[in-house]
Amino acid sequence: MTMMTNNSKLPYVLTAVGAIALAPAVNAQTVDTSDWACEYCPFEEGHQGDYEVGATSVSDASAYFGNATGYDEDGVYGNVDGQGSYAGDKHRMRWTLEDLALDSRAAELDGGRQGKFDYNLAWRELPRREFLTTSTIFAQSGGDTLLLPAGWVNAALTTGMTELDASLVSRNIESDRRVYEIGGRYLPTNRFSFSANYRRQEKDGLNIYGGSTFTNASLLPMPFDYATDEVDIGVRYSGDNSFVSLSWYLSDFENENLSLQWENPFTPTTGAETLAMAQAPDSEFSQITLAAGFSYPDLRTVMSLSASIGEITQSSALLPYTTNANVAADPLPRSALDGSIDTTNFAFSVTSRLFEKARIKFSYRYDERDNTTTQDTWNRVITDIVVSGDLELNIPYSFERSLVSLSGDYDLFDSVRLSAGYDYRETERDFQEVASQEENTGWGRVRWRPGQTVQIDVRGGAAKRDVDLYDEAVAVSLGQNPLMRKYSLAYRYREFGELTFTWSPLEAPVSITVNGLYADDSYSQSQLGLTAGDELSLSGDFSWSFSENGSLYVNIGSDSLQSEQAGSESFGAPDWYATNDDDFTTIGAGFRVQQIGENFDLQLDYSHSDGTSKINIDSAAGAPDQFPDLTTDIDYLRLRLGYQRSERLGFDLSVSYQQLQADDWALQGVAPDTIPEVLSLGAMPYDEDSLWIGIGFRYSM
Amino acid sequence: MRLLTVVIAGIMLAGLSVGTADGQEPSYSREGADTCLSCHEEDAMLAIFGTKHAVPSDPRSPFGHGQLQCEACHGPGDDHAGRVRRGQERPSIPFFSSTGTSSVEEHNGQCLDCHNSDVGFGWHAGAHPVDEVACVDCHNSHARVDDVLQTSTQPEVCFDCHQLQRTETMKAFSHPFLQGKMDCSSCHSPHGDNAATQLARQTVNDTCQQCHAEMRGPYLWEHAPVSEDCGLCHAPHGSNHPGMLTKRAPLLCQSCHSQIGHPSIAYGTEGLASDMPSRYLLGQSCMNCHSQVHGSNHPSGTKLMR
Repeated sequence: MTMMTNNSKLPYVLTAVGAIALAPAVNAQTVDTSDWACEYCPFEEGHQGDYEVGATSVSDASAYFGNATGYDEDGVYGNVDGQGSYAGDKHRMRWTLEDLALDSRAAELDGGRQGKFDYNLAWRELPRREFLTTSTIFAQSGGDTLLLPAGWVNAALTTGMTELDASLVSRNIESDRRVYEIGGRYLPTNRFSFSANYRRQEKDGLNIYGGSTFTNASLLPMPFDYATDEVDIGVRYSGDNSFVSLSWYLSDFENENLSLQWENPFTPTTGAETLAMAQAPDSEFSQITLAAGFSYPDLRTVMSLSASIGEITQSSALLPYTTNANVAADPLPRSALDGSIDTTNFAFSVTSRLFEKARIKFSYRYDERDNTTTQDTWNRVITDIVVSGDLELNIPYSFERSLVSLSGDYDLFDSVRLSAGYDYRETERDFQEVASQEENTGWGRVRWRPGQTVQIDVRGGAAKRDVDLYDEAVAVSLGQNPLMRKYSLAYRYREFGELTFTWSPLEAPVSITVNGLYADDSYSQSQLGLTAGDELSLSGDFSWSFSENGSLYVNIGSDSLQSEQAGSESFGAPDWYATNDDDFTTIGAGFRVQQIGENFDLQLDYSHSDGTSKINIDSAAGAPDQFPDLTTDIDYLRLRLGYQRSERLGFDLSVSYQQLQADDWALQGVAPDTIPEVLSLGAMPYDEDSLWIGIGFRYSM
Repeated sequence: MRLLTVVIAGIMLAGLSVGTADGQEPSYSREGADTCLSCHEEDAMLAIFGTKHAVPSDPRSPFGHGQLQCEACHGPGDDHAGRVRRGQERPSIPFFSSTGTSSVEEHNGQCLDCHNSDVGFGWHAGAHPVDEVACVDCHNSHARVDDVLQTSTQPEVCFDCHQLQRTETMKAFSHPFLQGKMDCSSCHSPHGDNAATQLARQTVNDTCQQCHAEMRGPYLWEHAPVSEDCGLCHAPHGSNHPGMLTKRAPLLCQSCHSQIGHPSIAYGTEGLASDMPSRYLLGQSCMNCHSQVHGSNHPSGTKLMR
């Protein structure tokens, strides 16, 4: 559905182009530096580098602590790290090597002739380790097919799957991401620069996906193999008081497996022994952005704007309605979606400090997602068994969002600054229960500096989101209870506040910061759905440089999120209520002392974090019901001792201990056959600890 | 809103004015950096000669030919470097001195004199200048390796002020900030931008889909909140729940779905593994069947099950 024609985008582009053409001119200032020889300046020349070769012993396999680090299995890992640079007369390079022997390896290089051209190369890998406790009956065939084991006995429920235990094979849920980047910039003059960057991301491995039949489902170890190529090309003109840039961005996503087929381990409907679901389709996103900025020093005013137009397309071939040859499915209305989304983004801001004591800022932002995909009627086959008969239109969701903000600051005294602001947001959507909503936000703030070392900030405000009409007819057409109010669409009143206290005494190398933040949401016009939510966050930092070579820190934090919601089993008025309370606390502390006895460095870091989620259900059918707490309890301790043997040679010893204990009723005790209608992978809640002991040899060149 | 755009164009055209230098003659030192280095010879100070600020062949660099060397950033240093009488306090260098009196805006002006064209305009549009954040609060221009420019060390620099975000990233399910494998600037543009909440790209979804392009679609069967804002279901800085979800399913889904039948049932503890294990509650909960929550490209996928 098109909500805005291409012609209507013209004002945005004209605004940018018109402003660019009138860019301000240049300032200059000269000082006689003919005698400034810089004889004592130790400019870097030649090659310099610090490299470290080491080994780390890992006591236990752990998905959680191996995630992103690569230390997921027990054993000994070798490793290489380093960084270096080269400086010639005109050419410079700098490189970083990180975890080269691990699955989390990275290598980056940048260089160039400063002021003329520069380039960058990067290679990064990132392991994702989700579960090492999972097992499955499915054997992978090719990239997109999961087969049942030979001799498998189908059953209506998992409890009847007689070959299950004998067929389970351990299969970790994990994946790897590889990123390759190359880019460069050319500056033919001081004013112009041209840049081009290319990045390729490859991601493959296994994800958990539910594959359903009419009454059953199998959690599948879904193989995936994604690649995304991104290109960013731009040209920029920079004046002394202005800039303008034009850039083009392309993101091309390709999926090697556009479907996943699996053999149904439950008693299948005849003809539906093998099922199929679609995987993410290939897609392409291209976007052109024109940006500009101007400053007016005499007016102490800065303006900036950007205007982007883009298009997302996808034309992957559609799968058939069903794999069941016994079902007389309709022909597809078309063989590919040929989906297309036009995007428009425009932003403008002006900040001015025309008066010494006052500052004002105005900004405007507009975002549009216009899904122009053609609608058709589709006659789906329900879980590969029966033709629905209810012709359904695909819904190309579109929206327009705009935000106008005005804020100002005024220095009432040297020590007191008052600020206030107003935001107006407007959102318009197609095909949803609310076509138009507005939000008005007002806030105020006081900053008080009673002394040179203390600062107190108090901020507070309120926001009211109104909807013109929550269209219950649309809700009913989607099968919703007409009393449901989706939280992103519903009326909402929000109050929020924040207090920050900072103390950094001049006479002592100490810094203390305390912050408190709260937000309280009320959905007072919602009978069903989210009805209330609030967040209270408290945090504090303390740091102290107790000597020239020593420092310590302590930080604490807590975050509490609460929400209330209501539902209706009777498809009428609310008859059940639920509360969700997420509480999280964390503490971190550590110290670092350098040059102990001139040769030793010592560093200790400890952190503890503790998350608890409580869920209560209160329904008319029974007594209030409280779920067991969902908990995560994480400790991390790291000690590092460094010894500098000589100017070039050093040694490192590090010991890390980490543990995670989780209680999660969604996984606790859920073996592959625990849920009669769902064949699961038997993932267990995390209960892991791991001791890492590492040694390393550093050499400086 | 289109009218507003036209008004903005008018403002820009009407407001144009060219600035001029104030013409004040500064009092610079006699020998530039050599004057400074006769006293300031600490390693931390000299490290700047291994940075981009000290490249003689680059005429734009503070140490480029004809440039003002140390005083390019620190301001005219003749008073500071001059003789002082016994007992007299040495005058502070104008900028970036622990005893100086220059304001944050003046300090930042020193940086923006050169960096205005690449970061300055967005900077003024962002939230940092309102909070009087100084460039040196985040950057150490003397360090050979600036912590805020390194993925592994950048988050701690940001967390100095953004304490709530530090707390969130320490939750059990988060992006790999604590492992040093992702930095804040992967998603945010700290020098400000016209994007919402200083995002790296124009919108939340554009930003997330840089790395999660598989969620982009467009799908034949879209899930409305997914196409609008990933943050409606996910807490990108961290969560107590797997997948960085804001809440546990099925209650997260039931915040919006009330269709007759299983979507509207209040699932209680009787469905736990120790009692009567429920397919609606355990494992992936709603996603045991509706696994295509980000959208489905299957002709029979209208319920996001295919």
